[in-house]
Amino acid sequence: MPNNENLSPFIAEFNGVSLRYNKGPEILKDINFSLSPGSFHFMTGESGAGKTSLLSLLYLHLEPTKGRVRLLGQAIDTMSRSTKAQVRRQIGVVFQDYHLLNHLNAFDNVALPLRLAGEKETEIKKHVSELLAWVGLEKQIKSYPEELSGGEQQRIAIARAVIHKPTLLLADEPTGNVDDAMAKRLMYLFLELNKLGTTVVVATHNVGLVKNFHFPQLHLADGHLKIIPAADSYSDITNKLFKREEK
Amino acid sequence: MAKRSDFLFSKESSHFFLPWICALMVFIATLVLAGGIATHNSLKLWQKSVAESLTVQIPTYNEEGKPREELVYRDIENALMLLRTTPGVLGAIVLNDDQMQDLMTPWLGSDAVVSQLPLPKLIDVSVDAAHPPVLEQLKADLAASVPDAVLDSHRLWLGDLVRFANALLTLIGLILILLFATVAITVVYTTNASLSIQEHILSLVHMLGAQDLYITNRYAWHNFKVALTGSLIGFVLALPIMFGISIFLKSVSGQILQSSLTSVQWCYLVLVPASVALLTFLTTFKTVWKFLRRFL
Repeated sequence: MPNNENLSPFIAEFNGVSLRYNKGPEILKDINFSLSPGSFHFMTGESGAGKTSLLSLLYLHLEPTKGRVRLLGQAIDTMSRSTKAQVRRQIGVVFQDYHLLNHLNAFDNVALPLRLAGEKETEIKKHVSELLAWVGLEKQIKSYPEELSGGEQQRIAIARAVIHKPTLLLADEPTGNVDDAMAKRLMYLFLELNKLGTTVVVATHNVGLVKNFHFPQLHLADGHLKIIPAADSYSDITNKLFKREEK
Repeated sequence: MAKRSDFLFSKESSHFFLPWICALMVFIATLVLAGGIATHNSLKLWQKSVAESLTVQIPTYNEEGKPREELVYRDIENALMLLRTTPGVLGAIVLNDDQMQDLMTPWLGSDAVVSQLPLPKLIDVSVDAAHPPVLEQLKADLAASVPDAVLDSHRLWLGDLVRFANALLTLIGLILILLFATVAITVVYTTNASLSIQEHILSLVHMLGAQDLYITNRYAWHNFKVALTGSLIGFVLALPIMFGISIFLKSVSGQILQSSLTSVQWCYLVLVPASVALLTFLTTFKTVWKFLRRFL
């Protein structure tokens, strides 16, 4: 039974979280934020600002060196390994380097989360085929990752992350290798999921994307997190960049 | 499309070695165990013969090397009379030339002409193993009525043989333990090598929410099947060798070595490939379980 003290109404809640690798410097410093159910955030910041590390904390790949992380209502430091696995099943992740399995074709890569969840093969076939068609890869269904372009691999990675309609979707540069039209199409896919209740965090360098879709930003700089509200998020960032250049 | 169980295993895995190592180990272990069982059976037979029989030797030649002729038959009759009235003796019969021939064949070969050798007459005495005669008393009585007779309880030479057989059984036990330890170490090595090669797969599947038990079971069953296949190959290859050795031993040793196995003992042999497969399952399970601890 979960401890009531650990329960949280948020999908994710970070309190005083810091992270360092081994004895290196702190990558993330005193991070405090929460993600409400059904929210949509961009995660922005320069390269090396700690976006991937923060995402790693969100999908339970890393533990904080200080502070407390709660995911799907439970503190991760008190979760059993079995509970952590259950929580991970409710999180979809689009990795920056795709993390596709080269010995599986496009269909089987996308089907992986459903197979781990014990779905019936008939259901898997239906859903995977539909989704691959939606991301424009119906002809590559039997192709192996090595036979596909970077953009195609990225779309497979996205399809795998969303196939099981996760509670929390984390995407690390999901549009980095696709053209603007496909980037927009993929963003609409994320929005559709968001409308259905999925909480979404998209880490991106794509200023255009942030400009077109007005969502609040989790902005990382020097290991610190700043939450930039939706309305002025884009102008704030550009102002900052402009001021820095002036200096 | 890949089967559900395939996604954990890429072609790069090092499972190629495992079936052949299991086959070799089971091949050796089956032969060693069969040898151990045959030794055990022979040991039992020898112990039984010690407990249930005695031999009385009546010399056919005197100390000067001359035939004792009718004295032999008188001694035989006296000895038989004494033996048949001794408590604990179930029966006593004089071995004829054919029986002597059979007895000598393992030592002298089937071509030896027993009747031309200066061998004593032998009286085979059956003893009640539960209530055996008092040997010292029997020896004294025999010395009184048949002074030239020699009572042989087989204990001396069989005692040495039993000690040798027991030492051999201990050695066989140690060899089996070593073989099983080798299988376990090999499984740990090949599994760790395979896990390291496939760490990216495990890491991803773990991140997608696979339970440790799920991954561990998949690996353990996969290795179990691989090991069982190899073990059965090793077992089948060992069978003709076993039969060959058994036929050879029968031809050279007659009844001295008991190389035929009972149905229960055949079950012990069948347990060898099953045990290797089970050991592989358990060792793989523990190795994968420990490996997964490196992931959060």
